[in-house]
Amino acid sequence: MAKRTPNEGTKIPATKARELPKVATGITGLDDVLHGGFPAGRTTLVSGGPGTGKTIVGMEFLYRNAVNGEPGIFVTFEERAEALRKNTLSLGWDLAPLEKDGKFFLFGAHVDPQAAISGDFNVKGLLAIVEGKAKSMGARRIVIDAVDVLMRLFDNPARERNELYALHDWLNDHEMTAVLTLKTSAGGDTSSRYEFLDYMTDCVIQLDQRVVEQVLTRRMRVIKYRGSSYIHKEHPFIIADNGVNIIPVSTVELQHKALGAKVSTGHPRLDTMLDGGYRRASTILISGTGGTGKTTLANTFVEAACERGEKVLYINFEESQEAMVSGMLSAGIDLRPALRDGKLRLMTTVPEAMGAEEHLFQAVRVIEAFRPDHVVLEAMSSCNRMGTKQAAYEYLVRLVNTCKEKGLMMILTNQTAGFKNENEITGMDMSSIIDTVIFVRFIDIGGEINRMLMILKSRGQKSVNQYREFLITDHGIDVRDVYVGVGGVLTGAARQEQEAREVLQARRKRLEIELREQDIKQKRAVMEAEIARSRAELETAEAELKALQLEEGLVQEGRDIRGRMRGEDANSLRLKKRVPRRKGRGTGRKEGAK
Amino acid sequence: MNRSDRKAKTKGTEALGETYILRLFMAGDEPNSKQARENLEQLQKTHLKGPHKKEFVDVLEDFQIALENNVLITPCLILVYPLPKATVFGNLSDTEKVLAALRLT
Repeated sequence: MAKRTPNEGTKIPATKARELPKVATGITGLDDVLHGGFPAGRTTLVSGGPGTGKTIVGMEFLYRNAVNGEPGIFVTFEERAEALRKNTLSLGWDLAPLEKDGKFFLFGAHVDPQAAISGDFNVKGLLAIVEGKAKSMGARRIVIDAVDVLMRLFDNPARERNELYALHDWLNDHEMTAVLTLKTSAGGDTSSRYEFLDYMTDCVIQLDQRVVEQVLTRRMRVIKYRGSSYIHKEHPFIIADNGVNIIPVSTVELQHKALGAKVSTGHPRLDTMLDGGYRRASTILISGTGGTGKTTLANTFVEAACERGEKVLYINFEESQEAMVSGMLSAGIDLRPALRDGKLRLMTTVPEAMGAEEHLFQAVRVIEAFRPDHVVLEAMSSCNRMGTKQAAYEYLVRLVNTCKEKGLMMILTNQTAGFKNENEITGMDMSSIIDTVIFVRFIDIGGEINRMLMILKSRGQKSVNQYREFLITDHGIDVRDVYVGVGGVLTGAARQEQEAREVLQARRKRLEIELREQDIKQKRAVMEAEIARSRAELETAEAELKALQLEEGLVQEGRDIRGRMRGEDANSLRLKKRVPRRKGRGTGRKEGAK
Repeated sequence: MNRSDRKAKTKGTEALGETYILRLFMAGDEPNSKQARENLEQLQKTHLKGPHKKEFVDVLEDFQIALENNVLITPCLILVYPLPKATVFGNLSDTEKVLAALRLT
């Protein structure tokens, strides 16, 4: 019991409370989404419209398990067994040896459409066959494909329901890890008719397929999973030559590797600006209008990295390998040795060639095979051509996340229409997953166009937040010191002019200051004279006041003397009044003492 | 339907002059299967006047036969001979439908 395998099903109630036993599906990405696999000994419903890949999901689950020695039964109500065998073979899955070994049983369960119906019936025959086969093979995996076809026979929702419940009970009683596939019509009401299946089964997966702007996009979503966690998102998937590939949209932030050591950008000045260089496992966005040197900047890094012996994968949606290599040669960057030594690998495709999922899948596959240290993507802006903005966004987010999880550094270039829209510069709405933003732009001063470079953001490191002049020479890039003057940042010839202008301006200013100082001196003198005069006036007034006060004082003195003489009585009266008041207080105290 | 009603009384296996082979697939003594068997025996009295053969198969006892005959639904009556093969699902409570399917009308 301690050595519980996912195959043990629900037999172990002791562990049930802790964790639901699961059966690995073997389908790329699906086990990640389902946090382990299908519920063991229980039923999973896979629903979706025609052509969404339900059969392949079921088939791959059984095939992968059978290859691992776990036998399974595939019951199909829709396709002919022979056709299904052929389709399966085209995915590289040969059922014949497995069928021979008793590891796989493909049952083309066809209900005679000509059959007459007279009275009540049920699917006991099917169950008898499945049970007999399961027993003889020791099978505990079953896929019932297109269960809706069988159910249509009943021609009555209540009976369908009863039969499906009976089937479900049977599957549970026999501890079969089962997958039922159900076809739902695109916009029809089949989903509501079979809605009870969502409640009946323990795990519900919906497949979906849409064509958005000529690009086919497949999606899967787990609707529910009783007793288990799963990734609650819509996951894109593709059906490739090796089967179903689900690329889980995970909340991967926590799995991201911490930003790593500094790596040189390939240019010492830029390194200084970034306090040592780019950081490993970080995502760098080089943003700017067309022709500003984004590619050159990225390739400066690529050349340097490859020279250090690091491997770079360059995904280019903009130009061919030849065009990029020769373009870079004219800027003094020779990528040929890196390509020759297998340090640099270019993936050049047209974004429209396939859907975003397919692009992502291919990129991830190359990353896994080539194992680069760094990935460059040119350009974010061209990803929109994969279909919709949303598809491009998901492609990028997931590619960035993949790189982050693997600890790879990623450089994204992005062509912006202008430099006013900050969202555009920092790359769609991806700024939360981008660590460093380098912005390059043209600046037109004095009839001369110059390139400017600025570090808009640099997470986890100090950086210079001023514009620098950025030059592309025939021997690589150059970053010049910043010139900070009153007129902002200047480059090229305009900078020299500005410097001369500054000297003149400074001289003018000095003169002006002198003039102002003199003026102030004069004004101060005037003011002081004024103060002196006022003070004199004030002193006179004060003297006059004193004389008046003296005069008034003498009069008052006389009045006081007379008053004192008259006031003897008044004083004695005041004394008499005070005596009885003291007495009263005395009695009061006594009372209080009582 | 009116036509079949009238003909049903006069026509039967007799008229065809061949040996009928009927096979009824059942699932143990599950109610529908039991009823189908009873209904078939009733039908035999009223309509199967000529030479005929009946076979009863319990799919619960022999799944292999069910598999070979692709019997998913029970009860299931199959007209094995004469060809073409005909199939009737259900407990055979609707005699009209059964007779029509077995070409006995």
